[in-house]
Amino acid sequence: MNEWPPPLQEIINEFKDCFDRMERYELLFEYATKLPHELQAKDWTEENRVKGCQSEAHVECTLDENGGFQLHGAADANLVQGLIAILAIGVNGLPPSEVALINPEFVDEMDVKASLTPSRANGFMNMFEMIRQTAKIMSKEV
Amino acid sequence: MEGGQPLVYFDNAATTQKPKQVIEAMNSYYENTNSNVHRAVHTLAGEATEGYEMARTEVAAYFGAPRDHLIFTSGTTEAINLVAYGWARANLSKGDVILTTEMEHHADIVPWQILSKERGIEIRYIPLERDTLTLDMEAFEIGVQEASLVCVVHTSNVLGVRNDVERIIELSKTTGKKGSGAFVMIDAAQAAPHERINFVELGCDFMALSSHKMGGPTGIGGLFVKPEIMETMIPFISGGDMIETVTLEGSTFQKGPQKFEAGTPRIAEAFGWHASVKWLSKFDMKMVHEHVSNLAKMTAKKMSSIPGIRIYGRHDLNTCSGVVSFLHDSIHAEDLAHLLDSGGFAVRTGHHCAQPLMEALGVSSTARVSFWIYNTVEESDAFIDYLTSIVEKFG
Repeated sequence: MNEWPPPLQEIINEFKDCFDRMERYELLFEYATKLPHELQAKDWTEENRVKGCQSEAHVECTLDENGGFQLHGAADANLVQGLIAILAIGVNGLPPSEVALINPEFVDEMDVKASLTPSRANGFMNMFEMIRQTAKIMSKEV
Repeated sequence: MEGGQPLVYFDNAATTQKPKQVIEAMNSYYENTNSNVHRAVHTLAGEATEGYEMARTEVAAYFGAPRDHLIFTSGTTEAINLVAYGWARANLSKGDVILTTEMEHHADIVPWQILSKERGIEIRYIPLERDTLTLDMEAFEIGVQEASLVCVVHTSNVLGVRNDVERIIELSKTTGKKGSGAFVMIDAAQAAPHERINFVELGCDFMALSSHKMGGPTGIGGLFVKPEIMETMIPFISGGDMIETVTLEGSTFQKGPQKFEAGTPRIAEAFGWHASVKWLSKFDMKMVHEHVSNLAKMTAKKMSSIPGIRIYGRHDLNTCSGVVSFLHDSIHAEDLAHLLDSGGFAVRTGHHCAQPLMEALGVSSTARVSFWIYNTVEESDAFIDYLTSIVEKFG
């Protein structure tokens, strides 16, 4: 049984309460509007682009003044941006060493992964890996 | 679908569903006839060979050609690659020009780019007229004069526009290559499902198509080639079945299509494709075209009245195929496809393997619905209702 950071657990519970796929999509669209740190289109670069995504998705990671992890991101598709927002809400403020250990299985628990096309699921895993690797490097630097 | 929801399949330009005759033919082959072809003398091998070669005869006949005009390939992509590697490599060189268009599928662009790099052959592209979404035929008339090979898509997989291939072939033959005539390759993958094409009457040199877009199985398609041109082609893939004799000093090859079908061929798939053309032969293809074209026209017309929806295509033309590409001003194409899928509507999204065309249209992707024989007006109406509700909720 995985243990998730409390904000992420809260979101997982919210998705578990959804009646069907359409309701889960509606919730993802809602989260797309709640990105804590939106990466503006002018800052989208080849370096921060998530590879393997059919849509354009970009993420960047920084540390706040307390050494807490902060995820910045955006996508041109709302369902992807919703996933970025959920991840950001779930991990922002955590020590990077903890972010580096997060398991991507939370999307299975949210019952969202089954609603993603293979390319989008693949894109999500690439994004997750990018974030985890950066957190790993940051945790060594802190 | 989730909750027992019915599925409406609107992704026929990617691949069609298979009639039970096709599935039964393939099952029957595996249950009763399974054996390798062209080799052993036993009865089963004889039956398999007979069925495989009968498939060649009947599929070729469906396209108005004798059996020695048809090389079985894995599909349209391999067929075009066979023209590039088997014919162009042996017959074109530096200084030759290949003329193709902005409307092509990647399968009719990338092989020429690879060849161009390797051999210094020049590729020129006929542009799309941005206002009419048709090929710039004035540019074609000029461009074809320098061309040794003309490669054109019969019907666009994105726009549903049918090119005037008859005129393109005529111009290529009369004015191509400084009046001596250019060779012509037609990509008929999207046309074959709803138009009865007669390869011999059409008069092109090569025609590529796929079985799975016309009710047949995946994994098989064909390249139609005039026999005198086939003789000038070199093998693209070599090994078993395509040889006549092999010694340690060298090999000689089979004549005709078999020279290009190395290794154990797609036997069950050939049985399946045969069954699909037999099944399609029962239909009046003019009526099939009218049916899919009318569904596309009707759907496009209704969609264009949904706020924010933009349609890409020429659904005012009777020649249009069963394809409607579209976008919404504020809902991303991929989001649209996911939302439509949750309502049971299978639609395609992406660049449709036609990125240069996407660039010409000024977009990176579109959503696309595509119809075939079994789709109905009721399905189209249900789609319009559902799309309208999605746009109201998410737009």
